[in-house]
Amino acid sequence: MKSGGGRHPGTRSGAVAALVLAALLVKPVQDFIDARAPAGEEPDLLFFNSPELVRKMALGFEPLLADLYWMRTIQYYGRRDDEGRRRESFENLHTLLDITTTLDPGLQDAYRAGSCFLSEPPPVGAGQPELALELLEKGARSHPLQWRLVYERGFVHYLYLKDYAAAGETWLEAARVPGAPEWLAGLAAMALSKGGAEEIAVSLWRRQYEEATSDAVRDNARNHLHSLQVKRDLAALRDRIERHRAATGSFPPSLGTPRDPMGTPYAYDPRSGRVDLDPASAVRCLDVP
Amino acid sequence: MAVIEIENLTKDFAVGFWRKRPVRALDGLSLEVRAGEIFGFLGPNGAGKSTTLKLLMHLLSPTSGSARILGRPAGDTAMHERIGYLPENPYFYDYLTPRELLTFMGRLFGMGGAPLARKVRELVGEVGLAASADLQLRKFSKGMVQRLGIAQALINEPEVVFLDEPMSGLDPLGRMEVRRIVTGLRERGVTVFLSSHILPDVEAICDRVAILNRGRLQEAGTLEDILRARISGHEVILSGWTEGTLEAIRPWCSEVRAMGERLHLRADDREDLEAVLGFVFAHGLELVSVNPIRPSLEEYFQTLVVGK
Amino acid sequence: MNRILAIARNTFRETVRDKILYNLILFALVMIGSSLALGQLTLGNEDKVILDLGLGAISVFGLLIAIFIGIGLVYKELEKRTVYALLAKPVRRYELVLGKYLGLLWTLGVNLAVMTAGLALALGYTGRAPAGAYWRLLPAVGLIFLSLALATALALLFSTFSTPALAALFTFFLWVIGHFNADLRTFGELSGSPAVEALGRALYYVIPNFGNFNLIDGRGVLQTAGYARPIDPWAVAGAGAYALLFIAFLLALSVIIFARRDFK
Ligand SMILES: Nc1ncnc2c1ncn2[C@@H]1O[C@H](COP(=O)(O)OP(=O)(O)O)[C@@H](O)[C@H]1O
Ligand SMILES: [Mg+2]
Repeated sequence: MKSGGGRHPGTRSGAVAALVLAALLVKPVQDFIDARAPAGEEPDLLFFNSPELVRKMALGFEPLLADLYWMRTIQYYGRRDDEGRRRESFENLHTLLDITTTLDPGLQDAYRAGSCFLSEPPPVGAGQPELALELLEKGARSHPLQWRLVYERGFVHYLYLKDYAAAGETWLEAARVPGAPEWLAGLAAMALSKGGAEEIAVSLWRRQYEEATSDAVRDNARNHLHSLQVKRDLAALRDRIERHRAATGSFPPSLGTPRDPMGTPYAYDPRSGRVDLDPASAVRCLDVP
Repeated sequence: MAVIEIENLTKDFAVGFWRKRPVRALDGLSLEVRAGEIFGFLGPNGAGKSTTLKLLMHLLSPTSGSARILGRPAGDTAMHERIGYLPENPYFYDYLTPRELLTFMGRLFGMGGAPLARKVRELVGEVGLAASADLQLRKFSKGMVQRLGIAQALINEPEVVFLDEPMSGLDPLGRMEVRRIVTGLRERGVTVFLSSHILPDVEAICDRVAILNRGRLQEAGTLEDILRARISGHEVILSGWTEGTLEAIRPWCSEVRAMGERLHLRADDREDLEAVLGFVFAHGLELVSVNPIRPSLEEYFQTLVVGK
Repeated sequence: MNRILAIARNTFRETVRDKILYNLILFALVMIGSSLALGQLTLGNEDKVILDLGLGAISVFGLLIAIFIGIGLVYKELEKRTVYALLAKPVRRYELVLGKYLGLLWTLGVNLAVMTAGLALALGYTGRAPAGAYWRLLPAVGLIFLSLALATALALLFSTFSTPALAALFTFFLWVIGHFNADLRTFGELSGSPAVEALGRALYYVIPNFGNFNLIDGRGVLQTAGYARPIDPWAVAGAGAYALLFIAFLLALSVIIFARRDFK
């Protein structure tokens, strides 16, 4: 309440001062808020985290809003902070996916990539394979003729829940969907016979890699394939070292230069006989069957 | 002592949607209003009266020129403690009752408590709204709102009151009452600046007037002075006339009308009048009356509006 | 200060006697009530559904009140010329702006209180929410109040220089955009063009960020074990500071515009 009337320079300069001061302070305060809570990236339409409510309020702009939410989901999942770190927990991922797919049930990417993001154990994903199954079932209800959504469900059962029987049953179900490819039945049979877990895994990931429609999914599949490859390479190398020691009583002085899938040589220590992925390797090694 | 000093006040409005062009609503108005007088601000619709009042209230800022009230510039907030204003066609929050509105307005002057309540009661009575003091304004007629508008202009016992068309929307009785209120103010020494296009009201109560047309001041002074300068002949009324009389006086008269017994004549200048009167006395006719023809304010207005 | 309070009080009285207000509150309460029915349809987390819907309803209807009543009031004041008589009183123009604003906040506060009570009743009806949840409704609604105070300041600013329809449209538009503020920025970052990125960044700070106030949702209020969303008091304080600053900015701008204005 500065002195001077509404028509006097006093008010005017007071108001201008307040205006400038407030304008200068807004940015630091916003940055403080952003630093406190990663709220900027949370599903910050928090009051609208009920998918039905969001859909009702979309007022005919559902597809547009769905695209926005999908963009926001990908941001939420893949965004890195200034130091290049990704977030470590994905508690709101399912809500975002749920809202996205409620707004636009036709957004198949959201089911497929979303289930992948949800299933991966932390820190890669949310570690919520059950919610991934729920999401895929929701998708299958909207798209009863899409064998792929059923197939993905088997994928989750097999690779994340390690429930091979359920995976096999689900793939059988997928094989019965009109238009499903023939290899599905074979896949189901293999899963049900519990044989060749690794082969199945490799072929699943390869398929995923080849058919991925989003970069995040493709990268994830590639990481898995690499991890499987590393696992196999290391097993073979260790086998070779063991045989050499059994024959000569000492570790081989060198293994040649076997390289990992990203081209970095494996790290071998001839004194201890240990071989492993080079810490500097570009391969992101994941837990694989 | 001048209570209101207006100097060369000019206001342009920008009109037009795309290319704004200035329209001059008020053109170099200079005026002085003295303490304690009722000053009539006259002019046909669109003359610039309301614009002037808004400039005085600093609702508008002038294009050029200046105005002082009680020696202070128009925007001075402290000066506003000492004046009252009735806008043209006033409108007030229609969900309020007169008592609430007046109390609210009183609070803006820092009044409150029992004195304010007393003042409100007094004013409501003075403008004849006592019976409807607690009725919401949306049930009010235009005339009632107008009375309330006058009441709110007086809540702070102002020294100068500005009334923009205070009589408009009122029935004849209401106009009488407003006249009574305004003359009452003069008795208390309040200066009243009142705009109007209803002339009889102004003629009846104003000490001095200014006449505005198309944003320009035409004339200022007492009504007497303004109108006397415009005497345009005399009306003579005779009786006991004959057909021969008619023939004889016709050359001196611009107008001759027989009305039963009486003959109404109009003589435009002094020579003609003397000739007519000489004839009347010479022929022993009965002279009923001789009156100067002073234009009414209406006629004066008409000549202003049509003539320019 | 007395004059500001007198104007605020008068503004509050004006809104309280307006029928629209009661219609809006009634709608909000009906919506909160219907969340009970909706809550029963979902298994398990009906409290969360009630809270999410209830808080959403409070936010949206609060916005409608802020927009329609806020803009309507200022418009009436200007268009119906009540402001003429008012400004001829020893009232400074900034006092009128601040008084109006405070009066609107007063109205908004009372309305939020009524709606919050309705929501608490709905929550009590299920009888399963923890006692602390009722207390945590306060900061949750408090944040909504802050966001609505910001929206009201926007509405006030727009109505100082545009028609009510446009002012309502602008306010609503900014409210919506303000919720997607962070998306604008990330969109800019994704674009790969430095110019677009700078623009997105600038807009992030310039457009009022309504996302800042979404800190406490149904889960935050409930704090059910295993399903909790912690409330960060510093973030809440930050949101408060943000609201105050932005409101100060908008009001100062309104005052400047209003002080220059001709009342024709
Ligand atoms: N807001 C405005 N914009 C443009 N012209 C205006 C405005 N207000 C008044 N005028 C013009 O200014 C002139 C004077 O108007 P006004 O002061 O209201 O006259 P009065 O009160 O004597 O009837 C008129 O010609 C009118 O058209
Ligand atoms: Mg007028």
